[in-house]
Amino acid sequence: MPEIKVTPLGAGQDVGRSCILVSIAGKNVMLDCGMHMGYNDDRRFPDFSYITQNGRLTDFLDCVIISHFHLDHCGALPYFSEMVGYDGPIYMTHPTKAICPILLEDYRKITVDKKGETNFFTSQMIKDCMKKVVAVHLHQTVQVDEELEIKAYYAGHVLGAAMFQIKVGCESVVYTGDYNMTPDRHLGAAWIDKCRPDLLISESTYATTIRDSKRCRERDFLKKVHETVERGGKVLIPVFALGRAQELCILLETFWERMNLKAPIYFSTGLTEKANHYYKLFITWTNQKIRKTFVQRNMFEFKHIKAFDRAFADNPGPMVVFATPGMLHAGQSLQIFRKWAGNEKNMVIMPGYCVQGTVGHKILSGQRKLEMEGRQILEVKMQVEYMSFSAHADAKGIMQLIRQAEPRNVLLVHGEAKKMEFLKQKIEQEFHVSCYMPANGETTTILTNPCIPVDISLGLLKREAAIGPLPDAKKPKLMHGTLLMKDNSFRLVSPEQALKELGLAEHQLRFTCRVHIQDPRKEHETVLRVYNHLKGILKDYSVQHLPDGSITVESILIQATAHSEDQGTKVLLVSWTYQDEELGSYLTSLLKKGLPQST
Amino acid sequence: YRDLHTFELQAPTRLIEWAHGSRVCVAGYGQSDGNEILQLIPPPTLLTKETQGLCPERDFKVECGGFSERPVYSLKYVLDTSLLVTSGPPDSSLQVWQVSAEDSDVIKSVSHIAAENDTGQSWAKIATISARAPWVLHGSRLDRVQITEVESRKNVYTAASGGSEELSGLAFLDCNTLLLCCATGQLCLADIRQPQNLVEAVSVPSAPCSEQWCMGTRHGAQGLEPSSQPVARLSSRGLLTLTDLRKTSEFLALAKARVPSPGSGAEFLCVSWAPALEGCLAISGFDGTVHVYDTQSWDSSGREAEPIFVHKGHAFGGAGGSGDPPLVTVHTWHLQKPRTLLSAASDGSLHVWDWVQPCGKC
Repeated sequence: MPEIKVTPLGAGQDVGRSCILVSIAGKNVMLDCGMHMGYNDDRRFPDFSYITQNGRLTDFLDCVIISHFHLDHCGALPYFSEMVGYDGPIYMTHPTKAICPILLEDYRKITVDKKGETNFFTSQMIKDCMKKVVAVHLHQTVQVDEELEIKAYYAGHVLGAAMFQIKVGCESVVYTGDYNMTPDRHLGAAWIDKCRPDLLISESTYATTIRDSKRCRERDFLKKVHETVERGGKVLIPVFALGRAQELCILLETFWERMNLKAPIYFSTGLTEKANHYYKLFITWTNQKIRKTFVQRNMFEFKHIKAFDRAFADNPGPMVVFATPGMLHAGQSLQIFRKWAGNEKNMVIMPGYCVQGTVGHKILSGQRKLEMEGRQILEVKMQVEYMSFSAHADAKGIMQLIRQAEPRNVLLVHGEAKKMEFLKQKIEQEFHVSCYMPANGETTTILTNPCIPVDISLGLLKREAAIGPLPDAKKPKLMHGTLLMKDNSFRLVSPEQALKELGLAEHQLRFTCRVHIQDPRKEHETVLRVYNHLKGILKDYSVQHLPDGSITVESILIQATAHSEDQGTKVLLVSWTYQDEELGSYLTSLLKKGLPQST
Repeated sequence: YRDLHTFELQAPTRLIEWAHGSRVCVAGYGQSDGNEILQLIPPPTLLTKETQGLCPERDFKVECGGFSERPVYSLKYVLDTSLLVTSGPPDSSLQVWQVSAEDSDVIKSVSHIAAENDTGQSWAKIATISARAPWVLHGSRLDRVQITEVESRKNVYTAASGGSEELSGLAFLDCNTLLLCCATGQLCLADIRQPQNLVEAVSVPSAPCSEQWCMGTRHGAQGLEPSSQPVARLSSRGLLTLTDLRKTSEFLALAKARVPSPGSGAEFLCVSWAPALEGCLAISGFDGTVHVYDTQSWDSSGREAEPIFVHKGHAFGGAGGSGDPPLVTVHTWHLQKPRTLLSAASDGSLHVWDWVQPCGKC
């Protein structure tokens, strides 16, 4: 049976890094190539030795697909392509291609410069890796080679995130990456058509979660900001240029307007330019609302949000500042942080995950005394808050996606085995499909039932149609013919035509069986007895006694001879062609039973 | 409000039950097959005493779940065991389930308890106790009340025939005393050591139009005799009566809640006492709101009472305008945090809210 094989090299049953190998109809595809953010050693990279023990991976993989720019999905890409070795194509969407290198470089800087790691990729490696990237558009079918094609679908979650359909012939797999089924302020919801893949690989991180409504989170965020500003404190929000920053800006602007607040809100300029640039490039990736506002005005022409100047950080009084980078590991946000950390009236709100080693990570872990450059100790008295707006699909969302795509099988990654049993049963019960949850390094084999189109010759079709009722599209019909496979075409023809085309002669097969009968009389008397016997039994068949002493039943020949050694035994030779096998066998067993006494 | 969290369940629930370890259980009541029983772990914000605003763990987690073929109208955990019992239409039989959260996250169906003389007309109300053994008290009508031992499914007690009124609730007051509430408002006390005896408590004021009643008993107060706690009864017209079970001939108090009339039926009527606040109770089931009352100022006059807090969240939550406004199906109090309640509505919403006492008295 043809099959699809899936092996997670990471994110089998753990959250941390995603790297999945799929083998479909002879093609090998790697889905995502993520870094595990929790480890400091080689465990953070996926184990590529599974593909091959030594040497480069180019020959073993047909392509690599990256779903979005989060480091747990693309963080190991430069290591994989430049240090392990891969020169084939790497597919991702345009926004992902633009943003990936920035995040990778950022990450490299933290890991190498701040933490002093040595076994890590270099800036040049990132550049070389990105040269191998082929960017794709949404809903565009890309031919990787003659047989393999891929297509990207909108996934929500972050700017540029996509779900990918991988198709070879009529077998297909859909990989979701991280996705979200509910739209938020700046991104739409994931969408896929009824493509009916053989397998849907879905993430299930939040499958067991019932999320607090966004409105509540936002309300609490605004409350915190408001309280801080009311008591004269300053709020620092470190952000990455894109994504949540826009959501929060829109949120604050509306709130400030409604509450008629006067405290200034600033957005650092470097951020504004970068963000604007990306939004202009990828406007089709955001949701309706943003597109409308963007057309009317510049993204950051807010009434209450102004461009930031370094000097403002020293101004007295309350204010809110958005600054990069997001994990407080360098640059402007870190500078501002150092100025404001000592005052307990101030607050810093971290809007997302922080990598180990960054100041952001340290203060979220509860550290309140930080060592800065030059052995200076910074005491953190300001309030530290963490707030996550990250968008993943919950159980309801996963069911929705399965309902949209109608896969024949489902495979879950990114969850804990024990906690996914309920979801597995839920999916199996509602959709009557099989659900798999492999662990890292464990291969799951999915059997598929591909349809192979075959041309049937007109002559054969006519002949078969003449035998039975007309072919019904809904009922399978059994036909007999010869399958000719030439070059890449399949044809079903009648055996005679096949012989003719191939220049072969037909062979005739004839069987002869000897049946011993006890009869002391002469041969022709035995023959007569046999003839009468058969004529009596086989009333529907043509039984004839020929002048030469043989009997025919239809086209089967029976002759009698005397046994060479024993005159009392007669030997009946029963002979038939392959086509008369059934009747021949029946006759033989009938004769073996012996002749009745009377005749 | 001091705090409000809103969640959306995949299917609406009409029960919220507390389980050990601060777990909360909800279950679907839809007509079709495939109702889910979900045991949830509340977010840490609910478990700690102080409220943290932006705490990252703000979500409920599904700890384990099960699939029920019939709608689940009532669910009770059996203390000191890993079992729970559910009931629901079409008949009065009970389903017993096993929760084994460490091994797998599936709640398995273990057995059924059939009701004797099950007329197959209504669903059984249930209550559980584990004093002498794990018992479940169940019945759909006054003359069909029985106690069954959960594990062996043996019948331990059958109440004497008291009439065939439909029951709206039942409870164990202690390991020997039962309290039964009929839909007509009648309250009956029974001692299981004397099965032939059913004592009737004071009836409710008769009304021109028919109304349905439900009851709320108070648990959790340490050291106090359960029968000394007043029993509240709520009618579908909004009447509230408080009765002291030691003096059943008269009402302790009588009041009227301000609810929309005519009531939308008694399907989801719910009244409950606050476990940690003296004299406070909450009612719901009339519309998309939950009312909290302080009964300490009530008398027997039957006057309209002013709620000290009204939770309106469910009425605003929904998809906005289309279809019927959501109806609150059930509410329950947090066992430790005095002013925190959980409420669920027919649109699948689940709210956790903490209200602030308006005039500062604590």
